[in-house]
Amino acid sequence: MSAAKRVQQWATFARTWHVFDCKWQDPYESAHVIKKYLMGLHKPIYHPMNDCGDVVVCINSKDIALRGNEWRKRAYFHHTGYPGGASWTLAWELHNKDPTMIIKKAVYRSMTGNLQRRHTMQRLFIYPEDKVPEDVMQNVTNQIRQIRLVPTRLDHIPEEEVKNFPKIMDYPEDYVLK
Amino acid sequence: MASLVRAAFSVSKNSLISTSVRSISTTKQLNIKEIREKVEGGNIVVEAVNVPSPRTELLVRAENLGPLKTIDVSEAVKSDKAPCYMCSLGLDVKHTDVLILSQFVRSDGCMLPRRITGLCKRQQKKIGKMVSMAQKAGLMINLTPANCKKDPTKRKDYKKFNTYFDETTIFMKNVPRWTDRFKFRQSAK
Ligand SMILES: [Zn+2]
Repeated sequence: MSAAKRVQQWATFARTWHVFDCKWQDPYESAHVIKKYLMGLHKPIYHPMNDCGDVVVCINSKDIALRGNEWRKRAYFHHTGYPGGASWTLAWELHNKDPTMIIKKAVYRSMTGNLQRRHTMQRLFIYPEDKVPEDVMQNVTNQIRQIRLVPTRLDHIPEEEVKNFPKIMDYPEDYVLK
Repeated sequence: MASLVRAAFSVSKNSLISTSVRSISTTKQLNIKEIREKVEGGNIVVEAVNVPSPRTELLVRAENLGPLKTIDVSEAVKSDKAPCYMCSLGLDVKHTDVLILSQFVRSDGCMLPRRITGLCKRQQKKIGKMVSMAQKAGLMINLTPANCKKDPTKRKDYKKFNTYFDETTIFMKNVPRWTDRFKFRQSAK
């Protein structure tokens, strides 16, 4: 095998490390993107029996955004196995307990249920903040594009820019400014 | 009966008490006013100062932009009245566009009524809902009542976490749950 071919072989079967910033991202939408990288679905050599999945590092998982009223309407079910052992935890309660759990469960549920799923999940790292251990961060070579735009708060926009922004509504002639 | 009594009372009250003298002027009597308070030797002086509108120079109107290419046909053509300034601009405003939405609120974050905004009913409803979406998402936290803590992460329970909204749900009669996939696909189209 020539040297160029050998490098191509390494590059084809090497595990790439991707980073994904969860800030203001819907975990259930981003799970379908993360899943593709974890399973290796984005590679032309993909096959279910081929171990070609990549590693994904999710950061800022405490800043995920849920749609509408889902923080208080979505419930996570758990059963201890004993009679009367069922419990329902609301999404915001679960996020209070563990800010990585919602995105972990979302990615787990987005994959079809076979035993390979457990091994694929081992390649997912989730961190609540943007502080990542150095030995993890030094492997990262790619960033996954975010799905939704991160909104800007009005008080973070400079006052001059707010003042000089084109106006649509003008006050009526007898308006008392409040 | 009660309404009859009320009507009779208001007519008699107006005829007796109301002054027939109305001030008539050929120039503009009312101007945009700013309430200013200042302390002068132990007395608080409250005065209303006439100020020019801070927005007139930066105002964008569809008729000044040349031919009306951007008009939103679906919302404007339904009635035979002329479209309001928001409809004729045809902007696709999202709840994250705080620079636009903040023009329709008072300094305490309260949506201005329709007699002041001058929007049509549909746009007033739409903008009002998007203002409340932006407020719930904590994007206009500086435009809140004075007793607000001005930090969305310090709110209670589920309110302290980030929330985003879907503008297509604004005119839905009832928003489908995420489990009702079939219904949602129907109503989205
Ligand atoms: Zn209109």
